[in-house]
Amino acid sequence: MNDLHGILYAYRSDANLGELTRPRNTCSLPFGGRYRLIDFMLSSYVNAGISSVGIIVHESYQSLLDHVGSGKDWDLSRKHGGLRILPPFSYAQKGGGEYRGDMAALAGVADYLQNIREDYVIMGRGDMALNLPVNKVLEQHIATGADITLVCTPILKGTPRFSEYVEMNEEGRITDLSIHPTSAANALESLRLYVISKQLLLDMVDYCSAHDIQYFSRGVLQPRIKSLKLVPYIHQGYVAQFQSISDYYQRSMELLDPAVRADLFNPARPIRTKDQSNPSTYYGPNAISRCSLVADGCYIEGEVENSILFRGVVVEKGAKVSNSVLMQGTVVKAGASLSYVITDKNVTVQEDRMLMGHHTYPLAIAKGSVV
Amino acid sequence: MKKEVVAMLLAGGQGSRLYALTSHVAKPAVPFGGKYRIIDFPLSNCVNSGIDTVGVLTQYRPLELNSYIGNGQPWDLDRSDGGVHILPPYMREGDQGTWYKGTANAIYQNIGFLDLYDPDYVVILSGDHIYKMDYADMLSLHKKEGAACTISVLEVTMEEATRFGIMNVDEHDRIYEFEEKPAHPKSNLASMGIYIFTWQKLRQALIDDEADPKSSNDFGKNIIPNMLSAGEKMMAYRFHGYWKDVGTINSLWDANMDMLAPRSSIDLYDPSWPIFARSPIKPPHITGPNAHISHSLVTGGSQVDGTVENSVLFHSVTVEEGANVQYSILMPGAVVKAGAQVSYAIVAEDAVIEARAVVGSAPTESPDWGIAVVAGGVTVGEDAVVSPSAMVREDVKGGERV
Repeated sequence: MNDLHGILYAYRSDANLGELTRPRNTCSLPFGGRYRLIDFMLSSYVNAGISSVGIIVHESYQSLLDHVGSGKDWDLSRKHGGLRILPPFSYAQKGGGEYRGDMAALAGVADYLQNIREDYVIMGRGDMALNLPVNKVLEQHIATGADITLVCTPILKGTPRFSEYVEMNEEGRITDLSIHPTSAANALESLRLYVISKQLLLDMVDYCSAHDIQYFSRGVLQPRIKSLKLVPYIHQGYVAQFQSISDYYQRSMELLDPAVRADLFNPARPIRTKDQSNPSTYYGPNAISRCSLVADGCYIEGEVENSILFRGVVVEKGAKVSNSVLMQGTVVKAGASLSYVITDKNVTVQEDRMLMGHHTYPLAIAKGSVV
Repeated sequence: MKKEVVAMLLAGGQGSRLYALTSHVAKPAVPFGGKYRIIDFPLSNCVNSGIDTVGVLTQYRPLELNSYIGNGQPWDLDRSDGGVHILPPYMREGDQGTWYKGTANAIYQNIGFLDLYDPDYVVILSGDHIYKMDYADMLSLHKKEGAACTISVLEVTMEEATRFGIMNVDEHDRIYEFEEKPAHPKSNLASMGIYIFTWQKLRQALIDDEADPKSSNDFGKNIIPNMLSAGEKMMAYRFHGYWKDVGTINSLWDANMDMLAPRSSIDLYDPSWPIFARSPIKPPHITGPNAHISHSLVTGGSQVDGTVENSVLFHSVTVEEGANVQYSILMPGAVVKAGAQVSYAIVAEDAVIEARAVVGSAPTESPDWGIAVVAGGVTVGEDAVVSPSAMVREDVKGGERV
């Protein structure tokens, strides 16, 4: 499918992710043993045949740049199209480098938008984990003759005050959009993921720029809810959003459910990520590993239960890890014990330390810490 | 553009002693060590040694190998100048072309390729050895000595020496004699099949060898002895470290088992000398509530619910609850169902061991005992038995014994 162009917003969007997003943008938050959040949307795009993608970045994007590189792990290192990173200096004139909202960001990359060759654009956020059949979204968009298709989920998990909800009528047209309400009475949550024709998008960017309108939902969708044909695409699959450390923990543990994995890691639409050439994971003679998701390159001689281990984690002899998420390069030394803990990259837990959180309040340990 | 060094990797052999494992793929494409194929070792060594131009000479069943190497991206060999090139035999005007008649003939037929890069030195490698080696270090010896040819050698025991090509050297490690599998070896320096030649010397030797109708066009049998008798300076480069020929079922099984002791054989976890591989896109592996895994390698996309001990599991392997896998190698996509027992076996790609089937056994006194092999895509039916040392190429019906 060469008729669709992908745009991804890779902003810092966390509300309460604390330690986990101090060194990085939410889109490069590690998730699922070997991925960064942006991998899910980027792979969804690529699996639908999209071959040119622009990533709008704003701040703390060093780790994101390091991760996506030239885009070759997503087959986006192309002479024609491919991956374009759109950093903030290109809209410095209009906003002095300040982030002022998604429409302002698009106005800042107007030249880039003008040069899009495809007729349709999908724009979305890179801070969710889902495996979206993007080609089905486009098919529906064309079949319904919608001006804008909004990807929605019926499974409400987000905190209402950070989320948007839509109501629709019997004809399947969106009749109301509520932004950050105090409670979510409506049945459909907008994932702020849109399919729109390139022409309509350009017209809107011009209009918003001329009228100093900053936000797409508040400035475009709400006022034009009657004049534009807005149609929801209801994604029945799994969606993980991350608004707090507790969210991060709960969503991580959901991956131990085979049904969630089957949906998110659908082999027909694989989630791609940066290849690191790790060897296989080694389990020692007295290792125990139960009910866990373990990436390649780990070296496990202790016990691991109900946990998610990223690439290159070391669990030494006599160490016990349960109900925890250990990011890349975490070292748990002999005799240490971890329960309901999230360790960020390259954390070392020294011998015989005991760390314990609670499933409602997991203990998060900052990148590179030595405990 | 001119290159100082070009590597030529001989990957055309069938590897007939691997039997069922190479009925569909060339030996260098055989999976190894959980994550790799045999060819990843020499290819990664090249890149880590700073060699960016590699010719891969293919002949037998090249399709899977070609697609595996692709544009060379996993090894950083997708270069605008140099990079990896697949070199099959080709047609010429007049003589219509021929298959590669021997290792030396394979290089002879690609003199034109080498001349494109006009290298000072050529490294000749084979695709059936597992080792980590810095060819740059070997090259610096070659240059320092001003040799025509440098051969990498390994010290073996005197008993083993009877099975190798043996280099007899003087006190400066200059080779004065080469003996193929000597009954009474004079030295214990075994050739590892890794050569560095000064290209213009080799080029002439290849042309002379081709003109000899009696020659079998082989490096070990012809080129090396001929250069030696012509008085060329030939040096032995002593290699210390892990090196294993994986040309037989036993040695392939053995070398895989060696990877279970990574800190004493080859350290695959060492970031200073990574072995690169083309990895399929797979999520992390998953272990079930009753999984028992010890002293084993497990790879992405696998699901382990049963017992796995002393084994190497490649990607996308399934071991169901109640299945028992001991001292075995399960290649990508292999499935071992509930209650099945697999021991001392190699189960190739996408093979299925149905419920309660038994494959292989622990070593016995019997002279017939050996590693059992189930070829790729084969199904071993429920309650079937595959005896030790059996080589299964076709489906085994339920309850049958082979």
